[in-house]
Amino acid sequence: MRVVQWSERTHRVLDLAWQETARFGHHYLGPEHLVLGVLRDDGSGAARVLEARGVDLAAARAALGRLADRGVVAGPRPSDAELLGMLGIDLEAIRRSTEQAFGGMAVGWAIREATRARGRGGGRVPRTPLGEPPMLISQALQHAGEQARALGLGVVGPELLLLGVVTDIRTPWPRCMRTRWTRQLHASVGLPEGYRGAAGPLLQACGVDLEELGAALVAALGAGVP
Amino acid sequence: MGEAAPGEVTQVAAATSSQDPEVGLAAVAALRGLVEVLEALQVENARAKGWSWQQIAGKLGVTKQAVHHKYASRRFGFRRS
Repeated sequence: MRVVQWSERTHRVLDLAWQETARFGHHYLGPEHLVLGVLRDDGSGAARVLEARGVDLAAARAALGRLADRGVVAGPRPSDAELLGMLGIDLEAIRRSTEQAFGGMAVGWAIREATRARGRGGGRVPRTPLGEPPMLISQALQHAGEQARALGLGVVGPELLLLGVVTDIRTPWPRCMRTRWTRQLHASVGLPEGYRGAAGPLLQACGVDLEELGAALVAALGAGVP
Repeated sequence: MGEAAPGEVTQVAAATSSQDPEVGLAAVAALRGLVEVLEALQVENARAKGWSWQQIAGKLGVTKQAVHHKYASRRFGFRRS
């Protein structure tokens, strides 16, 4: 299978998407943040396709804010470091001291061990303050990669990333994404039961026709309809 | 308040005492996430230093079956080759 890489621009979109999570007080990265990240990265083909459909950054942010008010996505929450700080625990000090004592590799191993899904009854904890915030965009990324291969492209740019998000909206999540462990993980970052990415509600709130958007993105990629 | 202004979340945390279950419970969940990692780290370290499950369980204040059940199936032990 051909290896698909991310373009520099896609890495930047991811960075910008993380910045958007902070703006909303979210402690996870979802497809909805990718849409905002694409819009933040002015001048990409993907941003132009969205802007041509009347979706700009301000409108999309406002729409996500309304979704948070309605409980479709999480509302602003304190970070783990802030929560632990309230208990008098310095998360960064613990991170430093454990890494000094055992090394970063061992801490990384312990994080995976403590949070991995288990055969019965899910993981011990879905997530830990010592780990990175969860990225709930695996399906969108997988679709982006598949679309890249289908179109014969070796690099995923923002257009393909957005196409992956659109495909993800229109595809039911597989069973492996609907386990007790994923439900626990979603709940642990304040997401409601049944969350499966909020890019769909976000784009719909902005009045976007998903089918047409997908076709426009494929057209923007300069290839035939797959 | 769907969209938090910069710094607002920090203020939420500072201004809300843990009398508020929403914040208090989230703080406990964060603490549990921390404890599980530290426990895995210490148990793996103790095993690598030759401690028995009995000794580890004694220090953790649980039965040796409990600690064995939880950690015997641990994967990718970072000190074991």
